[in-house]
Amino acid sequence: MTRSTLFAIAGLIATSAIADTPKFDVHKSIVRITTTAQEPDYRVPWNPGSISTGIGAGFVIDGNRILTNAHVVSNGRFISVQRENDPRQYGGQVQFIGHDCDLAIVKVSDPNFFKTMLPLHLGPLPTIQSGVDVYGYPIGGERLSVTQGIVSRIDFESYSHSGADSHLAVQIDAAINPGNSGGPVLQNGKVVGIAFQGYSGDVAQNVGFMIPTPVIQRFLADIASGHYNRYVDLSISMENLTNAAARRALGLPDDDTGVLVSSVESDACSAGKLQPGDVLLSIDGHRIISDQTVELDGENVDLAEIVERKLKGEKLKIDLLRNHQPLSVEIELEPNNSYLIQANLFDEYPRFVMFGGLVFQPLSKNLLEAFQIDDLRVRYFYNNFVNDEIFKDHPQVIVLSNILPDPVNAYLADFRYQIVDEINGQKIHNLADVANAFDQTSDFYVIKFVGASRPAVLQRTAVEEAKARIKENYGVRVERNLGEETLR
Amino acid sequence: MKFLLFCQLPILLAISAAATETPSPSPQPTGTVEARPSVIPKEPPLPAKEQPAPELKSGSVLRVNSTNQSYDFFRPWSKKAPFNRRGLGAVIDGGEVLVTAELVWDSNYIELEKPATGERTSAKVAVIDYETNLALLKPTSEDFLKDLQPLDTNATVKVGDHLSVVQLEANGAPVSTEALVTSAEVGHYVLDDYSFLLFKMSCPLQYRDNSFTLPIVEDHHLISMLLRYDPRSQTIEAISTPVIQHFLKEAEHEPYLGFPSFGISFSPTRDPQFRRYEKLADSEGGIYVDDVEPNAPAAKADIQPGDVLLSIDGKAIDPDGDYDDALYGRLSITHLITTLSYSGQKVPVTLLRNGERKEVVVSLFNRPPQDYVIDPYIIGRPPRYLILGGLVFEELSRQYLREWGPAWQKEAPQRFVYFDHYQADLFPKPRKIVFLSQILPNNDTIGYPQLNYMAVERVNGQPIYRLEDLAKAIEKPVNGFHKIEFDLDPKVLYLDADKVQTDAAQLQKTYSLPELRRF
Repeated sequence: MTRSTLFAIAGLIATSAIADTPKFDVHKSIVRITTTAQEPDYRVPWNPGSISTGIGAGFVIDGNRILTNAHVVSNGRFISVQRENDPRQYGGQVQFIGHDCDLAIVKVSDPNFFKTMLPLHLGPLPTIQSGVDVYGYPIGGERLSVTQGIVSRIDFESYSHSGADSHLAVQIDAAINPGNSGGPVLQNGKVVGIAFQGYSGDVAQNVGFMIPTPVIQRFLADIASGHYNRYVDLSISMENLTNAAARRALGLPDDDTGVLVSSVESDACSAGKLQPGDVLLSIDGHRIISDQTVELDGENVDLAEIVERKLKGEKLKIDLLRNHQPLSVEIELEPNNSYLIQANLFDEYPRFVMFGGLVFQPLSKNLLEAFQIDDLRVRYFYNNFVNDEIFKDHPQVIVLSNILPDPVNAYLADFRYQIVDEINGQKIHNLADVANAFDQTSDFYVIKFVGASRPAVLQRTAVEEAKARIKENYGVRVERNLGEETLR
Repeated sequence: MKFLLFCQLPILLAISAAATETPSPSPQPTGTVEARPSVIPKEPPLPAKEQPAPELKSGSVLRVNSTNQSYDFFRPWSKKAPFNRRGLGAVIDGGEVLVTAELVWDSNYIELEKPATGERTSAKVAVIDYETNLALLKPTSEDFLKDLQPLDTNATVKVGDHLSVVQLEANGAPVSTEALVTSAEVGHYVLDDYSFLLFKMSCPLQYRDNSFTLPIVEDHHLISMLLRYDPRSQTIEAISTPVIQHFLKEAEHEPYLGFPSFGISFSPTRDPQFRRYEKLADSEGGIYVDDVEPNAPAAKADIQPGDVLLSIDGKAIDPDGDYDDALYGRLSITHLITTLSYSGQKVPVTLLRNGERKEVVVSLFNRPPQDYVIDPYIIGRPPRYLILGGLVFEELSRQYLREWGPAWQKEAPQRFVYFDHYQADLFPKPRKIVFLSQILPNNDTIGYPQLNYMAVERVNGQPIYRLEDLAKAIEKPVNGFHKIEFDLDPKVLYLDADKVQTDAAQLQKTYSLPELRRF
């Protein structure tokens, strides 16, 4: 009995979803994007990287722009855009890209391209259980494919493109597969999301995710300034105030209001405005519920959503209690930088300095994964970069990532994966410091590492003698990239 | 919104076609310096022979059956399930039986059995050294060993010598298998960070009962005790004679002082560029002192990081940290300090500091595990803990981290592994790390998430350096609340002091806790 009831409900939803979708020609809005990407190899940072091609979807929005996922066009060297029922391929360029929200704008220079295209318009956040249609090129076919599903859940999700961000995302049960990326998800003829990630079949079935319109609208508003400024962040951590003793100890009434500030990142926008121990009561007029949520459009959502919808430079008003005294602060919001150490890097050549066969690189997720570094200190610096404010002494954590064996460095193998502290007595804060130190003329280059007394020593004459040999042997095209040379 | 944890991430949906460029060859990682066996055996191992050992018939070995039960560091108020270890012990002078410490550590009951007659008695541990993995057992009945013939312990062997590994048949008859000593080098014994001279032997050993450890003999001389056997390569790693001899000599003294430590970490000075920079003469060797452990013998003799040690006890140190041993050739100075020298001994050390030659005298002693910020081992004594309102506090030890299994360095909370590894750097002053190991959910902790592995910094405003500090701090709640501050988010938790006290009995009952604290 139960089983047949379940089927009946499922059928009902499917029918209503189809009925809700008015007939219109989505073919005139959607495009197929082929990206030829060059992904750098952090183990060989002077090489341009391996070339691969990927296929995704995109769609036209107002202003003759194509909206797609950042990961569809990341590291792109050549982008071609195709329309349905048009044999021609058009060259495209990335105009804006947001790796933290996995969105990008692609322009097509051929003025005829947009003439017959119809821009799609953004709709609202869909309601749970409402039906949606998903368009795209799953598993890479030439022709547009459509599937249907319902909205299963609306929550904060990790955005796996950057690997370090999480934003609002909508889970849908439509079959979403590689190639759907960047494709529009429509409801009542309006875009309610962009399909962007899912689980592989052995983890979960019928679980796909789309980027909802609040995130898309924020991206479009951000780039209206002519530059993508990234998400802003309070850069604080908070604790629920749901324990009765904690509430009474802080002198709070039993009204489920307020959260406790645990830490405030000292180099971010809240520093000097908020303090550990502050009890935050409201944010931009929304009462803060003790489990770190606020009520927004009738739903309880993570209070971060209030911050998420703001742009760089916008202000936020927070009412709080500090030492039992009410206080109101206004914070000018800024993006956070320190967490980026754990974010995937795109669209840039790996930064490095090579000297005497020693390769120095700033610690990043890409570096850690490329070398599979399991050195305890390197991993500690990576994982605790924010919590322990390691960025204060090491804005960039410079790792001796590789040694190209040569007589000049024959005895230095044990120093691999150590973190550089000083070179010739100068503190090393970033890669430019490393380059500067090696540019100074000195008989010896004495490299001190964090936590080690015994320095690595290179004699200038030996390095000079080895220079051409190492470049030749290992095919080192350039000996350094400090980041001046970027793609966009 | 920041997202700073590792987690299983959903896959992205763009398709990637095959790479069209052949991958460029990446540079080969350089290897680390490998330990060299001190001597390479001159002759190939002979085909092994197994034969009855009539010379041992009169009885110099005993079956040792030990029932052990270790504390559960995840639930410090209880012990884990008991288990048995069965090995052979060597009867030596003084009415005692030598075994490996691992056979009997955390033992509840030890039984000795004469192989010939099956006669049994219980035994007590007389002396145990966890670091060298050796223990002396004393039978409770005094006459038990009377009719047995003790093995001599004064022999020396060299690499290339043939020895006999003793096992017992089911009927009690001794049987010996020939073993060839292939190398003698300083290596890992049983606890991490404790290395001593190790014998490696090739020997095709058969599986027999009571083989957790086995005596290795030459005629009537006890030479070695088996540490590990690898059946695939048929190789034995065994406790070396000098270590056994040191242990027995030290065991004659009351109290037992242990094997001395030095307390430095060092780097080689072989790199010619480094030698030129440090102005080290090519004719001399020397090792570069990287770190000096606080409170250890080297620190007390004012040896400093950056010193270059040239000789210890008159023995020149080569640039790799080896000296010329009379018996075993090139050996790590670890052997010279820990085994050839004794606790209480003063050893002269010649060093170079800023180009100047200096003589210092190091008074050697053993640094007990309790003396470290993070105990390198806690065996034979219970873990300390305190439970407050369901919050379980313990002191960080490597024994606790070892609960994550053999791969604990990768599996255990990485922040704690880091604390342990760099403890000398991170915590130069004597202290312990008190941490929250888990929360036993109860009415006082409603609303708190399941928290663990956070180090306690302050309680009720008082800094916490050991459990006693915590016990003292909770006697003085602030305005009726305990305020507990941690090094990680959420940085602070509050407990109602009166409620915690009222609920204590119920908590104890609910979770069947024998006691709420043990120091």
